[in-house]
Amino acid sequence: MPDSKQPKADFSDVEGGSSSTAPAPSGQSYTVVKGDSLSKIAKHFYGDAQKWRKIYEANRNEIKNPDLIYPGQTFTIPDA
Amino acid sequence: MRTLRGRLYLLVILGGAVSALGCKKQTPPAESGSADTAAAAPAPAAPEAFAVSEVTLGKAIGADKKVASPTTTFGPKDTIYASVATTGSAPSKTLTAKWTFQDGQTVKEGSETIAPTGPAVTAFHIEKKTGWPVGKYKVEISADGTPATTKDFEVKK
Repeated sequence: MPDSKQPKADFSDVEGGSSSTAPAPSGQSYTVVKGDSLSKIAKHFYGDAQKWRKIYEANRNEIKNPDLIYPGQTFTIPDA
Repeated sequence: MRTLRGRLYLLVILGGAVSALGCKKQTPPAESGSADTAAAAPAPAAPEAFAVSEVTLGKAIGADKKVASPTTTFGPKDTIYASVATTGSAPSKTLTAKWTFQDGQTVKEGSETIAPTGPAVTAFHIEKKTGWPVGKYKVEISADGTPATTKDFEVKK
């Protein structure tokens, strides 16, 4: 029987990722590294940091807050 | 006589030409032969429907995304991998791994969108630098939002 006074486990610092032997449907995928931001990734793939929202929209199930992305997360990069 | 002979000669030539045309009409066109060949050939096999075949848990994966040493018991500092084997093909499938703790809390949710053309392996992993709380966990794998399978595991000290 779990102790009701026991503090709730904290999983806020859990990091995760994924990869596959199967190809991505279109576009590319990108695994976040330390120091990345959506703007930086958008600049890298599209040459325009302002297009970060495109990546955000394609990965809404992975990105809870566009200002917080974590190393190890893998994003689908939609075609420009 | 000459006129009659000439007419007869002309009739023979015309008759021959008509016969030749008739023979040509009876020759089957090349297309019909091709169609018969196509009909006799076996139809190409329909692509196999996409399905999740197996989920294996472990502490490490290889380059093939497969878990080398399957286990369902982990230590607090372990990285936990779920290797999801799939069969079939699909133009686009989103596999999602939802990791939950024994109290129902969502530990992590991750997804991978793939376009498999045959058997494939997709690996998900989670890690917690400060260590996993001891207890029972599960990972639920779904494909395009439809639950496919669930795997239970435990973290022990």
